[in-house]
Amino acid sequence: MWLYFFKLAWISVRQTPIMSTLMIIAVGIGIAACLVTSTIYMSLSKNPLQHKNNVLYALQLDAWDPQEAYDGPNDMPTQVTYLDGIAVLESDIPTHTVLMYKSGFAVLPENKSIRPFQSLARMTTSDFFPLFDVPFIFGSTWSEEADKIPEQVVVLSKQLNDRLFNGENSVGKQINLDGRLYKILGVTADWHPRPKVHDLNNGAYNRRDAMYVPMSVGIELEMYSRGNTNAWERENVVTFTDTLQSEHIWLQAWVQLDTKKQMEDFSSYIENYIRQQKKLGRFQRPLKYHLNTPSEWLSKNNVVRQDNRILLWLSVIFLLVCLINTIALLLAKFLKKAPSVGVRRALGASKKAIFSQHLYETLLVGISGGALGLTLSWFGLWGIRYLQPGLKDAAIMHWPTFVMALCFSLLASLFCGLLPAWKISHTQPARYLKIQ
Amino acid sequence: MLNMDQIKKVFRTDLVETYALRDFSLNVQEGEFVAVTGPSGSGKTTFLNIAGLLETFEAGTYLLDGEDVNSLSDRQRSALRNAKIGFIFQSFNLIPDLNIFDNVDVPLRYRGFNGRQRKERIMNALERVGLGARFKHMPSQLSGGQQQRAAIARALAGEPRFLLADEPTGNLDSLMARQVMELLEEINEGGTTIVMVTHDPDLARRAQRNIQIVDGQVTDFQLGPIPPAPENDRQSATPYA
Ligand SMILES: Nc1ncnc2c1ncn2[C@@H]1O[C@H](COP(=O)(O)OP(=O)(O)OP(=O)(O)O)[C@@H](O)[C@H]1O
Ligand SMILES: [Mg+2]
Repeated sequence: MWLYFFKLAWISVRQTPIMSTLMIIAVGIGIAACLVTSTIYMSLSKNPLQHKNNVLYALQLDAWDPQEAYDGPNDMPTQVTYLDGIAVLESDIPTHTVLMYKSGFAVLPENKSIRPFQSLARMTTSDFFPLFDVPFIFGSTWSEEADKIPEQVVVLSKQLNDRLFNGENSVGKQINLDGRLYKILGVTADWHPRPKVHDLNNGAYNRRDAMYVPMSVGIELEMYSRGNTNAWERENVVTFTDTLQSEHIWLQAWVQLDTKKQMEDFSSYIENYIRQQKKLGRFQRPLKYHLNTPSEWLSKNNVVRQDNRILLWLSVIFLLVCLINTIALLLAKFLKKAPSVGVRRALGASKKAIFSQHLYETLLVGISGGALGLTLSWFGLWGIRYLQPGLKDAAIMHWPTFVMALCFSLLASLFCGLLPAWKISHTQPARYLKIQ
Repeated sequence: MLNMDQIKKVFRTDLVETYALRDFSLNVQEGEFVAVTGPSGSGKTTFLNIAGLLETFEAGTYLLDGEDVNSLSDRQRSALRNAKIGFIFQSFNLIPDLNIFDNVDVPLRYRGFNGRQRKERIMNALERVGLGARFKHMPSQLSGGQQQRAAIARALAGEPRFLLADEPTGNLDSLMARQVMELLEEINEGGTTIVMVTHDPDLARRAQRNIQIVDGQVTDFQLGPIPPAPENDRQSATPYA
């Protein structure tokens, strides 16, 4: 019977081509608007560190200008100074402590067929890998000693290892960075959290990390940050050593606190540290610090902007308006066909059969609208990737979204069809038989 | 076949109550050809709609083949209508979007026949009304008489035992009307019970039995009000055979 109903639906849709097209376009545009905004919203609001959300913390310390808060009145700096970073590193309360900044090297490949190139590097501590759960394909991280006494060692990303060593196990080999040889200790698996929650400084959808080098090496070689550096005090900062002693903020600090006790101990450690620094004339603002969970960190860094949320709601409302319009059009269309429904009833169709027949028609409209919506949203997301390179990784539709959209358009069309189909199946057949 | 006893049908609107049928009693035997006449608005169409299970009623009993239809669900009524009853309307009521073949197909679809059975029945029914060659035509491409014959084919395809016709010749000229009448007579000879509403006294006279509805009540055309007892009913039918 469903084949017969689809045939009737097809005949009916063809009978009113303009109206049907309008309905399909309305449903299609509504679904596309929802899909595009929800795709972006969902990838923006994703937390890649959700599984460790209650043990990882990004540290904020208020060592800023006594006269003026960092950004808004309640805001604290999003990075820390070298002095404070080292103080955090010295605590052995956290399970893992990560200090890091972004720098870079000229890579001079041994293989002469590959031309030298510039590559960014994350200068960090050995805890980076266990703290952020970075998987390795070969080797592992450097020793904790290398965090204190510089060792020229490196961990490569899979991409860089593929480029330089064709993906072979390069552990134990050496790589020439800025003219110095570094020993390769490990190669990470393809690791690229989106949003890039561990470093939101230069955009949540920035390039993936290429390699990791002990921060101690960066300090020894006086490598400046290639990320953000902020300052508030008029200081005479000339040399790299000046930078290390200054109030410039340029390091990111993360800790892993697995227990409540660790949390309490670490909090009092930080408070004591601040009090002690106050005596030395630093930290002149009210005592303030914050340990941000990854999700707090994402929202504090405005990864999902308020307007994205509003846009999502607007698109849902827009879809509802489209659907309500479709309901009205369907109702008008069905009631216009009431005489033939009367005939069908006279010939033995039950109310249920009439109801199903009309629901199939709305299903046909809904599926077509859904297909159109998917096509439109594909173009829409393509346009966003083209116009907004910053959202390149966010504006991608994933399979679950795709399947969800299809189910949703089915549900939406059922929703649209219920009232009109119910209405038409419950009209008195005898009334319409006289009219024709 | 059809036993109606003291049927009451009221149409209520906000302002008025119309008694379309009052104390309406009628018995129709298997194989009869009954012509129904009566003034406009007297309740003829209402009677046919109730007989065809398209409309419910306020009081009285209606037995179709001995079954009390009042207690049936919509689904059961529809199935009964589909299997036992054929409808023919004054304005043909072919579905304009479907061609003749698909129009005749409609009642068979709800009956659940398979494709081969349906095709055979459709072509047989169309041959029977002389439209075998026009099954691909749309209703608008046929003359009025042809449309009515197609509608009759549609009513016949499911081989109902009971045919209800509401002024089937009302929209046709006299030649076409006669052809349709001959067709109905032929169908009746095949054993199908027919109740036909008509305004044409000549056509009515050709039926076995004439009844008249006035003000929602049955009046026998020549014998006066029909006696309630069924055995008298049968006697009154014979003189017109
Ligand atoms: N749906 C309805 N709502 C209100 N009143 C109705 C309705 N259908 C019929 N009636 C009333 O019921 C009465 C009987 O109507 P019915 O259609 O049965 O007459 P009829 O004998 O078929 O007339 P005609 O010969 O003109 O077709 C009329 O007075 C009519 O106005
Ligand atoms: Mg009438």
